[in-house]
Amino acid sequence: MNWLIRTFSSSIGKKQIMAVTGLGFSSFVLIHLLGNLTIYQGREAFLSYVEKLHSLGGLVTLAELGLVVFALLHIGLGLILFVQNLQARPVRYAVKKRAGGRTIGSITAPYTGFLILVFIIVHLLKFRLVDKAATDDFIILSNTFTQVGYVFFYILGVIVVAVHVSHGFWSGFQTIGLNHPKYMPLVQQLGMLFSVLLGAGFASIPLYLFTTL
Amino acid sequence: MKLDSKIPGGPLESKWDRYRFELKLVNPANKRKFEIIVVGTGLAGASASASLAELGYSVKTFCIHDTARRAHSIAAQGGINAAKNYPGDGDSIQRLFYDTIKGGDFRAREANVYRLAQISNQIIDQCVAQGVPFAREYAGLLSNRSFGGAQVSRTFYARGQTGQQLLLGAYGAMMRQVNAGRVTMFPRRDLVDLVVINGQARGIVVRNLVTGELESYAAHAVVLATGGYGNVFYLSTNGASSNVNAAWRAYKNGALFANPSFTQIHPTCIPVHGTYQSKLTLMSESLRNDGRVWVPKNPGDTRPPDRIPESERNYFLESKYPSFGNLVPRDVASRNVKQVCDQGLGVGPTKYAVYLDLRDAIRRDGVAVVQKKYGNLFQMYERITGQSPWELPMMIYPAVHYTMGGLWVDYDLMSNIPGLFVLGECNFSDHGANRLGASALMQGLADGYFIIPYTIGGYLAGTRIPDVGQDHDAFKESINQVSKILERLLSIRGNHTPSYFHRELGRILWEYVGMSRDEVGMTKAKEMISRLRDEFWQSLTVPGSRKDLNQTLERANRVTDFLEFAELMVDDALSREESCGCHFNVAFQTQEHEALRMDETCSYVAAWEYQGEGKAAALHREPLRFEYVELATRSYK
Amino acid sequence: MTETTLNLKLKVWRQKNPEDKGHFETYQAERISTDMSFLEMLDVVNEKLILDGKEPIAFEHDCREGICGSCGAVVNGLAHGPQKGTTLCQLHMRHFKDGQTLVIEPFRAKAFPVLKDLVVDRSALERIIEAGGYISVNTGSAPEANNLPVPPQNSELSMDAAACIGCGACVAACPNASAMLFVGAKISHLVLLPQGKPEAARRALSLLRKMDELGFGNCSNERECEAVCPKEISISNIARFNREFIKASFGSTEE
Repeated sequence: MNWLIRTFSSSIGKKQIMAVTGLGFSSFVLIHLLGNLTIYQGREAFLSYVEKLHSLGGLVTLAELGLVVFALLHIGLGLILFVQNLQARPVRYAVKKRAGGRTIGSITAPYTGFLILVFIIVHLLKFRLVDKAATDDFIILSNTFTQVGYVFFYILGVIVVAVHVSHGFWSGFQTIGLNHPKYMPLVQQLGMLFSVLLGAGFASIPLYLFTTL
Repeated sequence: MKLDSKIPGGPLESKWDRYRFELKLVNPANKRKFEIIVVGTGLAGASASASLAELGYSVKTFCIHDTARRAHSIAAQGGINAAKNYPGDGDSIQRLFYDTIKGGDFRAREANVYRLAQISNQIIDQCVAQGVPFAREYAGLLSNRSFGGAQVSRTFYARGQTGQQLLLGAYGAMMRQVNAGRVTMFPRRDLVDLVVINGQARGIVVRNLVTGELESYAAHAVVLATGGYGNVFYLSTNGASSNVNAAWRAYKNGALFANPSFTQIHPTCIPVHGTYQSKLTLMSESLRNDGRVWVPKNPGDTRPPDRIPESERNYFLESKYPSFGNLVPRDVASRNVKQVCDQGLGVGPTKYAVYLDLRDAIRRDGVAVVQKKYGNLFQMYERITGQSPWELPMMIYPAVHYTMGGLWVDYDLMSNIPGLFVLGECNFSDHGANRLGASALMQGLADGYFIIPYTIGGYLAGTRIPDVGQDHDAFKESINQVSKILERLLSIRGNHTPSYFHRELGRILWEYVGMSRDEVGMTKAKEMISRLRDEFWQSLTVPGSRKDLNQTLERANRVTDFLEFAELMVDDALSREESCGCHFNVAFQTQEHEALRMDETCSYVAAWEYQGEGKAAALHREPLRFEYVELATRSYK
Repeated sequence: MTETTLNLKLKVWRQKNPEDKGHFETYQAERISTDMSFLEMLDVVNEKLILDGKEPIAFEHDCREGICGSCGAVVNGLAHGPQKGTTLCQLHMRHFKDGQTLVIEPFRAKAFPVLKDLVVDRSALERIIEAGGYISVNTGSAPEANNLPVPPQNSELSMDAAACIGCGACVAACPNASAMLFVGAKISHLVLLPQGKPEAARRALSLLRKMDELGFGNCSNERECEAVCPKEISISNIARFNREFIKASFGSTEE
């Protein structure tokens, strides 16, 4: 399987793993968001969604395992690529200027990536890796989002995610070679729309809970 | 000295075939033992390097740029001719041959030109197979366009970047051989001397442009493909590093220089606009297919061109040459442009320009069609002049473009120095006194892909070539001499830059040895050049050292040779007592101011032999015999 | 061609040789005609330096008509300067303002070491082409040119990519100093033609590996390359390269 190692250790190979894992995360957060939005139908609806999800049992574990693997790959390779990219230009320019290609999302991608990691760790510590025997997810949620600090932290967090995705989404398509003159503009627009909706959707929940509870 | 052109006997059509059969072959197992030096990586040099390496020879290839792909062939815009006759408009090998001979005003060898026409078709096959993205018709077959000097469409093209695409093809083929270890590339090397041992060309000395080191390389044969010397005029369409050094140093080592005064002045270039100007930019001749050349009928008409009504425009090429119209050959077009400007009919701020108008084509074919054909040329024009050709006609004026003259070669493309082969623009062989559009690319590739691989084999197989290494005294001697020249250039510390002398030299040549020449002017030019050369050695200044990257020194070193070469150019122009093609001596013209050839006395190739420092060069004449074409007065009426 | 003149302040990177640390030096460019090209402006500055007995600013140039790819520098943070789709030699001074300061730096990348002043060594691009950026056809073995029709739209796309002049601005402008646009353009030029198909897999892998080996960075789709490319070569060529990589890695027998 030497060829497989060669394939994935090449620059394009690494980036394609970044792309696939990144697009994987995009679909994950989409489902995550859709699930979370059940909160607007009230506590019962939300908890029944949680329950249904947990009733899948092994599948959820498998999915979580998958996410961990994806995360390790995305973060690990992202780090390698970041360092390699820094090394590729040992002497920097005195004057830096955008020629028109870069966006906030692309310029900040490695840094937003790091912030997202911090965000996810907090997120997991807060919602996933807690003992839920004496409580339920809605309670945790409402307890958290009645604190203004958390609300801010979360809103900032999802904005960072949105910025990351604004570049990552179309970039993922480009990297796996899906660029076609007819469809690429659509993919780029979709990417922007997706990141805005993602940000707005996730940000709305803490705001909603903060203002209504 | 007897000049043996080695033209094979027999019927014209089968000369090349028979000749190739008669050439001795090198045993395939022995080929790798033969080392061949190729200098220059334009179309001729790159294609020769690739083809020779494919055959198994050990090739060392040198170029002046950081990469082989930057050679000035890359700038050729219009296209490449071939006698494929795809459009079925009456083309044939015979017609391409005839057009080229006639276009050259009957000053080229029949056999060479016929061979060129024969090979032309193979070149297209080769380039297509290499992935040259030629323009195509809707069904995917190759497209052709017409070009100056021809009434058939035989020009293959890749937008306005044909030279670039052909060069990338040849460069790719050569890089493949670099990868295979059969070509070793030496970029950033400037040829400073040819080394001749026992009468055979056995190597070169080059200056490493990064370290300044003088390096020796020995070989069994040397191939020069170093392009033309148009830059002797300072302002030309050539790249800045195009020079005469290689050819000139071969000449000083005994190679004959043929027809040095044959320099082509291209009619469609962007006019000069300032003293700081460093180069002239060509607008592809293909524009003349659809563009109409005109000036206002009234001198001093200062209205913008779009305000000048049809009836007050003088389409001087169309009215003077009804059958070829705007498509007359380059020399004819250039001379006519000069004439109308000299008559005070020119336009633009300097009055040395005429309009090249595509208005009618835009109206007829629509913007989209014109955009596809000429879009990039329009863009280039606008970038340089700040004016859009979509709105107003372009302004053009002739500029030095190509040199038909070059080192003398025989049918083998070998100079009179055994083992020194000369290809492409660097030799004099195929274009006579004027080159037709889209023929330079054809010749460069014909020489490199399809001629030299055969003829060099004949030489190597049939010649005793003793072992000589780069430690031979001749190399040391040469390095010594070159070092002295370089030291001298650095030590003058005067008050003029190399560019100053170059610019002055260009002015003299453009004025007196340009589009029209007369004895008084040329004699004056000779004196002026000689004075300028003295001044050069007294008041030049070159900062820095010769032991590192020193672009001023490179420049000075080139100007040194231009200053010597220019005098030979004048000698050649003076000695040719006729007008032919690009060489227009005012004493020889018809009543209609067309060139008057003197076939009785001037049907020859002028081959000049170096006689030593300060001595006049010796002229040898190779008579041109025409067995298959009738010498006719060129008429494009 | 309405000529006016400008006075400019130049801050130019001067570096004696690859080992030298290098520094910026300031020059005045006076009475510069707006009809001059950027390089002609540098010529004027250099002529003065030479007459003052100083070493002129070394910079590469040859054709001065935007096709040879020799020239290139970063002007005020932009490779080849502020004019889109234009090489430095074709950039004219009419695009600058009187009194402006221009910071002129060499192309910077680990793979492009500076040789002197603005002259950099771009031979890494050669090494990439050498690794397989061609169609392997020996002289004389080509079939009749019209035997193999090429759909004109493919031929046009191929030509769009083949227009690359190898100047290296894409690398210079890429925040990661990646050569993906250069390589993508070469891959596209050849793979879009039927003649280039037989070697497609081998070419994609060998060019990629050579590129990786030479110390270029990784593409992160910043699109700066496309924005500065004097021939306006599209990043869709990079996507095509990515596609060809997948085909070569998983759909061919090449290893």
